[in-house]
Formats: sequence, C-alpha cells, structure tokens
Amino acid sequence: MNSFSGGMDNLERYRDIVPDYEAFKAIQSRPLPGSCRINTLKIERDALLGRLEEKGMLCRAFDWYSLGLKLDIESPGKMVENLLGYIHIQEELSMVPPLVLDPQPGETVLDLCASPGSKTTQISQMMNNRELVIANEPSLDRVAPLRANCERLGVLNVAITRYDGRIFPRGPFDRILVDAPCSSEGRERRGPGTISRSSRTKSLELQKLQIRLLQNAVRLAKPGGVVVYSTCTYAPEENELVVNAVLDEARLEKILLPGLIGCPGVNRWSGETLSDDLLRCARYYPHQNDTGGFFVARLIKN
Amino acid sequence: MSPGSSRTRTRNVFEPLSASEVAQPWQSRFGIPEDVFSGYQFFRKAKSIWAISDAPLPRLSFESLGMRIMNIKDRPWKPTTCALQVFGKHATRNLVHLDEEQARLFLEGGTQVIGPDMKLDLAPEPASDSASYQAFDLASDQASDPVSGPMPGYVVVFYRGEVLGCGLYSHGKLISQIPKERRAGEQPGR
Ligand SMILES: C[S@@+](CC[C@H](N)C(=O)[O-])C[C@H]1O[C@@H](n2cnc3c(N)ncnc32)[C@H](O)[C@@H]1O
Repeated sequence: MNSFSGGMDNLERYRDIVPDYEAFKAIQSRPLPGSCRINTLKIERDALLGRLEEKGMLCRAFDWYSLGLKLDIESPGKMVENLLGYIHIQEELSMVPPLVLDPQPGETVLDLCASPGSKTTQISQMMNNRELVIANEPSLDRVAPLRANCERLGVLNVAITRYDGRIFPRGPFDRILVDAPCSSEGRERRGPGTISRSSRTKSLELQKLQIRLLQNAVRLAKPGGVVVYSTCTYAPEENELVVNAVLDEARLEKILLPGLIGCPGVNRWSGETLSDDLLRCARYYPHQNDTGGFFVARLIKN
Repeated sequence: MSPGSSRTRTRNVFEPLSASEVAQPWQSRFGIPEDVFSGYQFFRKAKSIWAISDAPLPRLSFESLGMRIMNIKDRPWKPTTCALQVFGKHATRNLVHLDEEQARLFLEGGTQVIGPDMKLDLAPEPASDSASYQAFDLASDQASDPVSGPMPGYVVVFYRGEVLGCGLYSHGKLISQIPKERRAGEQPGR
C-alpha cells in the first residue's frame, strides 16, 4: 500500500469536490485540537468557565455554539470536571447533528445509532432532562459505555434499547437522529490510518446498511417529523447517495449554523447527476474549521 | 439440590416501584425530601433500582430505563454515585465535607481516616424513621454515638458545596465508592 503517503491517495477521488484540496490533504496528519461540551444538566456555563479559569486551564468557546469549548489540555478525559460530568469530551463537529435535529421540549426523540452517546446526551440536555429520548444501540459491548456516559452526565430522560436499527419496530417519533456507522474518514486526525483503510468498495458495502437505517428512520417518524442523517465520512456513497434513496418520502431542508464554515452537498458524483435538492446537505471539512470531517442532512417526512 | 436452584432467580424485567417506596430510604438516611423524587418513574430490575423522567414509555424492549440510582444486591442498599450527584445536594444529614487533599484522595477511590476535626454533619436520625433506615445504614450494632460523626453507612461526600459522590463511613474511615472508571489518577486516557 501507499506507505509514504500514509494512505492519503484514497482521498484523491475527492479532489474535485473538496475546496482547497491540498490544504485538506495536508491537515490530515495534524492532530485534532481538544474540545468538550459543557453539560448544562450539571453545571451552568459561567460556573464551569469560572472553574477552568481558576485552574488556569485555557479554553475558548466555538464561534457557532456557546456550549462547545476548544480545550488546550494534555489529557482532558482525566479532568475532574469530566469525571464529575460537568463536561463531556466530544469532537467539535459531533455537536452539529443534535443542533440540526433541534429537539423541543415535550417531544419524543429516537437516536437510532447511539453509542457511546455523545449526541444522545447532548439531545438530553437540549430537552432539559425531560420527556424521552430512546437511545438505540444493538451492540452489547457498546451499551456499557453509552449507559456510563448517560449516568456520569446525570441524564434521566434516556431509555436504551438494543434493536437492529433496520428493524427498530415502533414509532412514531417527533425527531430521529441516524448517526450511521460509516468509514469514518473524517476521524483521520484522531485515528491515523482510517483513510488508508477506506475504499469505494467498502463505502458501497456500508451504503446498503445506511440506506436501510435511514429508510426505517423515515418510516418511524411522524408526518412532518424531522430526521437527521449524519456520518463522519466524506464518501458521497455513504452520504448524498444514501439520502437520495429517501427523497420520495421526505424533503431536505437547508442547514444553517452561523459561524461554522460548511459546504453544500454534492449533486453529481462519479459521472452520475443527482437531485439538486442534495445541495441542501452540509459537508464540513477539517481544514475549514480546524476540526474533523462531517456530513449532515436534515429531512422532513412528508 | 441441582446446581443453581438455591439461588434466587433475578427476574430480568423492569418492575415499577412507587416514588414513595423509593424515596423512603433517601429521606430517612439523608433527609432528602420526598418531593425531590417527583417527576420521575422508578423501576426495579435485577440488582438495581432505576429512575427515568415520567414520560409515557413506548411499548419496546428496554435495556435500561434512565439511571441506576440504588444497588440492592446487598444490605444496606447502596445509593449510586451518579444518583447522589443529582439528588444528594438536598441531603441534610450523613454528609461529609472534605478539604482539597481529602477530596483528591476520595476521587482516586481511596480510603481515609476521618478525624475528629472533620466537618461532619452530626444530626441524628429522627426516631420516627428508625424502622426504615436500615436501607442505607450498616447494622445497628456498629452504630456510633451520633455526636461523634455520621452514622455508619453510606454518606454524601461534598467538596466546596458540590457533591463528589458516595462514600462508605465505618469505624472512623471513609471508603470511596466512586466507580473504577470514574476515578481520578492512574486510569488510561480516553
Ligand atoms: C458513528 S457510531 C454512533 C456515535 C454516537 N451517535 C455518538 O455520538 O456517540 C455508529 C453506531 O451505530 C451502531 N450500529 C452498527 N450497526 C447498527 C445497526 N444495524 N443499527 C443501529 N446501530 C448500529 C454501532 O455499533 C455504533 O455504535
């Protein structure tokens, strides 16, 4: 394999869709800055900022989300604030899908692919620990970390189920998040080697699962309900081409997050022309905000 | 007897419990008012008592319902650290306030001697509650003079007015009950 390029050749196929491709490629070998979310179920923002300041810890709120902080700390997981559940260590862009889902008080929400629960717990805090979030995670090994994060963060509105998301049996839900298993190319800066293991063939394999997860989510949503589909990968096979499969049952809404630089979804890929509606999806690249990479689509069920 | 037949079989379903049943040991041991537990529904499954917001639950097969708030495997029943971090701030008795160094040791999972100079909550339990407080208390033969410290049993551990978690107080010692994965110190990075 391409040992000298660190596997970055696998990114070549994105040259035409990523702006400033060379910067995109270059940033992959730079480690990701630390970040965390303030858990308002346990502490107020000002109190948390005061604590960090008192300890001389450097942090800066994201431009686009006041509860997200960039942290300049060696091992943030060991911070007392993390152990006590005042913060949750979470990648910056991982905080995007819950904001796009935008859960409201009084609603019932399904998080179809939930573990380890970074987004589940963010949704929980957006709902002030009231009503109900169903966090679904089929893998037994991954239920323990999901539950541990919920408990550490003081979450009291989450019930965990263990269905295969493709056949999760019952709805309806007001809002559903499908944070699908994916090839995780956007995590290269955290787990070097991810991109070297990705390929179009693998993406097409994952696509089958992703389409069935999203189709079931749309089925489980109330008419007019919101379904958010997200991945941490660049491959259009796992993103726009998945969303494309449900456009008869749901319509796409544009995503607006002032302060975070994003790109529109792609409407043509490997010689194929797709629906212009897919431009309403959002792509976030690492070199644009000094983050990982993410894809997010917001769908409204017909 | 065939192997296993002597064990009490734990039913693997969530059985509903009333809020007052659940609140009682918290009230008698820690003085936490019962209304702190309103707005939640409670269940018992296997060795735990669970609490979740009182929203209607859809007909699904659940792996967990909210938070484990009590471990009922052994007597006395043990409040979980995560539940004390939510409900423990309402406690009025059987509290321990630590200083910085003691708090550090507690968060690392350590055991420490609690000296007479310690800031302890000395309030004795009201006599009317005596029948119910075995839930979180150790056997009464270990009970110490209430004016010398908290009653042996589980205590809410505070540092600078914030709840750190659950401690076991016995024979002048405070034994941290912080779960392994949430201890400060030698744990691996995440
Ligand atoms: C990208 S991760 C989710 C991350 C999580 N949403 C968070 O923010 O912490 C995808 C999850 O989907 C789970 N998964 C895999 N196959 C699944 C299926 N058929 N149905 C539902 N979830 C599945 C994986 O075990 C994995 O935990």
